[in-house]
Amino acid sequence: MTKYAYYPGCTLYTKARNLDLCARKAAEKVGFELTEMPSWNCCGAIYNATSDDLAAQVGPVRNLAKASQLGEKLVTLCAACYNVLKRVQDRLDQPGNEIESERLKTFVDEKFERSVKVLHYLEVLKNDIGWDRVKEKVTKPLAKLKVASYYGCLMVRPKEVLGFDDPENPQVMDDLMRVLGAEPTKFDFKAECCGGYLVVNRREVAKAASQKILDNARAWGAEAIVTTCPLCQYNLDKLRVLTDGSLPVFYFTQLLGVAVGLNLDELGLEHSAGDPAGFLRSKGLL
Amino acid sequence: MATSHPSSELLEQLQTLSGQNVSDCYQCGCCTSGCPIGEAMDPPPSKAIRLLQLGKAQELLDSEGIWMCASCLVCGTRCPRAVDYARIAEACRALILRSKQSRVDPDTVTVPELEEIPQQAFIAAFRKSSV
Repeated sequence: MTKYAYYPGCTLYTKARNLDLCARKAAEKVGFELTEMPSWNCCGAIYNATSDDLAAQVGPVRNLAKASQLGEKLVTLCAACYNVLKRVQDRLDQPGNEIESERLKTFVDEKFERSVKVLHYLEVLKNDIGWDRVKEKVTKPLAKLKVASYYGCLMVRPKEVLGFDDPENPQVMDDLMRVLGAEPTKFDFKAECCGGYLVVNRREVAKAASQKILDNARAWGAEAIVTTCPLCQYNLDKLRVLTDGSLPVFYFTQLLGVAVGLNLDELGLEHSAGDPAGFLRSKGLL
Repeated sequence: MATSHPSSELLEQLQTLSGQNVSDCYQCGCCTSGCPIGEAMDPPPSKAIRLLQLGKAQELLDSEGIWMCASCLVCGTRCPRAVDYARIAEACRALILRSKQSRVDPDTVTVPELEEIPQQAFIAAFRKSSV
């Protein structure tokens, strides 16, 4: 079984432990293993885009240095960790950035062995495992479940750096849903921002942005939404107005878990709003 | 012919920090029309860049709009002239934060919020809006 170094990040052991839990279990079912990298630190949660602020890059650089001692690949699940680590690695690797890159590495008390390929779990499924092998492991197809795949910002932008999916019409989660037997719906706001961290001090703005996404998914006939970011999940799931409570918001790993036969207690559904377990039961999936 | 004005130094600073050249923008409005919070953002991205083109950098720095950006990068991704407004807003915020003026006070976060909101949001919000 292929082993990958895994960076969980701050949120996956606490408020998004349901994302972590079934991701690991489902990985084992489809043929890979996530091994947490030792003594990781916070990635900073958001990429700092000013040209001179090297201090903000030191945290992620330390993670990359640690990971580089383990191998070439580092797997992430949180869209924010994925975005930050990948962009910082890209900054280190950019031709013309050699002096800055060396300076950054000297701030870190770790040996930087090699450039790290930061991968999202979805990239592992798609490119390393392959859709055919994932399909073979499906024991409970999500028969015709109409799902809107919501990617948000951090999985697809900036396109020059992330580049593994189309920033306007990303496909990877739709492809996964199809492999699992579900029916991905069309959806205009796949990569529209949910308001992100504005929920901390501009709650109404995030709520309005999230509501637009939910309304659009519903208008296209979606029965559920699937996402990969703990903050998107929170904004879409917990900020919605009560009248909209019937559209459940799942992590892609939860639906993957259902399809590969994980038990109810391995899915972590109790952390979500509404009654996602009841919804799955009503669809004959639990 | 270029004319000098009092805020040209400030504009220079913003262009260096953001790595963007504001005169590249031809005001097509793609950024603003795509901005998920453009309706609530004052000024919205294209107007913010226009202020800089007109030499009104201080006006942008004093605005609310720069604090409303969620850094979703849709503006820069769609810009036909490769101007990244998210980086300009970041540079504006950085100048204010570096003069030790916070916009969000971590002490004002309430316990229910702390228990509920994913910590990635707190870290991001504090990084973008507090010293």
